[in-house]
Amino acid sequence: MPDKESASAPGYHAPPSIDAFRTSEGSSRQDEEFKDAADRALKERPSFSIRTRLILAFSIFFLLPLVITLWSMHVLANVNEKILFLELADDYKVEIQQARRFEKNYLLYGTNLDDAREHAQAAQRLSMENEEQFRSVVGESSLRTMNEHLSAYLRLLDEADPADRDQWESQLREHGSAMFKLAQDFVIKERNEVEGMLDLTRRVPFVFLVVLFVLMILVVTFLARHIMKSLNRFMGYTQRIGSGDFSPITPTRGYRDEFTDLALNINRMVRELDKHHRILLESHKLRAMGTLVAGVAHELNNPMNNILLTASLLQEDDGSMEESDRQEMLQDLVAQAERTKRIVANLLNFARQSETKVEGLDMRDLIKDITRLLKNQIRIKKVRLRVAFPEELPTVHGDRQLLGQVFTNLILNALDVLPEKGEIVISFDTEHREGFLAVNVADSGPGMPGHIMSRVFDPFFTTKPKGKGTGLGLSVSRGIVRKLGGYLLVESQLGIGTVFTVLLPITTIPSDISSRVGASDGGN
Amino acid sequence: MEENLKVMLVDDEEIVCKRLKTALEKYGYAVDVFQSGVPAIERLKEEQYDIVVTDIRMDDADGLDVLAAARKSSPRTKIIMITGYATAEVAREAQVKGAFAFIAKPFRPKELHALLEKAARGLKKG
Repeated sequence: MPDKESASAPGYHAPPSIDAFRTSEGSSRQDEEFKDAADRALKERPSFSIRTRLILAFSIFFLLPLVITLWSMHVLANVNEKILFLELADDYKVEIQQARRFEKNYLLYGTNLDDAREHAQAAQRLSMENEEQFRSVVGESSLRTMNEHLSAYLRLLDEADPADRDQWESQLREHGSAMFKLAQDFVIKERNEVEGMLDLTRRVPFVFLVVLFVLMILVVTFLARHIMKSLNRFMGYTQRIGSGDFSPITPTRGYRDEFTDLALNINRMVRELDKHHRILLESHKLRAMGTLVAGVAHELNNPMNNILLTASLLQEDDGSMEESDRQEMLQDLVAQAERTKRIVANLLNFARQSETKVEGLDMRDLIKDITRLLKNQIRIKKVRLRVAFPEELPTVHGDRQLLGQVFTNLILNALDVLPEKGEIVISFDTEHREGFLAVNVADSGPGMPGHIMSRVFDPFFTTKPKGKGTGLGLSVSRGIVRKLGGYLLVESQLGIGTVFTVLLPITTIPSDISSRVGASDGGN
Repeated sequence: MEENLKVMLVDDEEIVCKRLKTALEKYGYAVDVFQSGVPAIERLKEEQYDIVVTDIRMDDADGLDVLAAARKSSPRTKIIMITGYATAEVAREAQVKGAFAFIAKPFRPKELHALLEKAARGLKKG
């Protein structure tokens, strides 16, 4: 069965469950259990609420800058330390420079030997007093090397009169330049390091800001998308419910959040809606039946009156009545009683709360029965009902009681819109759609404009004044036909009239094989 | 007692016409029966009746049409409406239009007779 929407009835909605027609006591045990299970499944999931997400997001946006700030502070503290050491190292270097200058003077002019010694000793003092610091910065081996050179230098300076003057000079120069170079090296090195660290404190926060910006956009986007996804899902749910599908919301994710509470509340609301809907359906059915029953009761008046008049005359007969008249009257009594029997049987056939049953149906009989039941209503409204039965009528797949409800609804609707002397024509054809029998109920009424026609199958939509009609008839009828595998279509032209077409699947099951439910009427 | 009052009876049920004609003639009325409204209305144009008894709802013509035709035919005519179910609004409408009385189906011939007698008394008073 292709699940296509009908072109002439746009905006098709899922029909109410067919179970609503069976049970008047309410939804079945299974339905209730399923709804309870759905609620339970919704509740029993680990929670990952939107509030949690927001807190997480804000925490990240707070913690990251905090970390970066602490890091910067740490780096700057290190820089501070290094600068302090640089001062020290620079002092040391300067002392050595001075010592070397005076050394040069001495070698050139023989003066300032004491000055050289003084400065070298100052350097040594600095080194000894800050031994730990030096060690931690330049390392044990470099420190030892520096100290060795310095000690050697001082020793050389202390030698009053060296034996080998040239060797003495070259050793002095050697140690001197080695010391100086070392000192210079690590000053430069330290300065480079400080520059590197400062550079880092400049660049890292900038990069961090960019990263934070990107992160914020991502987080906000994901959060917004997550919320929108849930909102869209709920839009879908409310649309589904609005179209008459009262099945509960079931979990689609592995965790629960604030939307879960919303879902639980909606499920509760839908259960109420469902309850009310069933009551409405039931009252609608009762109202339809009430109309039928009223019509039939009225119809019964005539045979009853005939019986009463005839029997009264027989009763009052003082013996002067002709035997032939008597016989005629007795015959009339029997005939009218039979008539009553037929009328009641017809009603019982459709009013009985029998098990709905899908079977092969002969539409000829069904339509005849319905039109007979509604004969009185039709007569009262002075409308003409014409049924064009073709020679051959294929058997269709359907449910007698439910389809009876559908056609009753269609004919009563037509009666509502037709003025006196209006006409209803019921016709059949098999050309409408392959594999289906089309039963057309056409009225010569005012027709419907497009915007009404598109809503005509909506539950609770009605053009009748307040209080008259619940607007359920057509949506229920459509649901019935749909559930039986058929389609209910409408076409209308303003000023000309409206045609409702019931498409029913043609079956290969002969109609006399499946047993009929309810008492069949005795005759035509 | 009834002095052969002319009664017109209009009802689309054949048995009603037959039985009531028999019964009313026994009571001494002169009864013309019609099984539909249109010929009855036609006849009213030509003849006048003392009492007209008509069903309210018939296939071709409304009982109210017959009522109107009867009043037009002769203002003294007493018109009795037979109702299928006594609805207040129909009663009111017919009353406004000049009906004399109602009788609801189903009824016994005696009951109609009583009503006819009342109508006859009304006619006598003039």
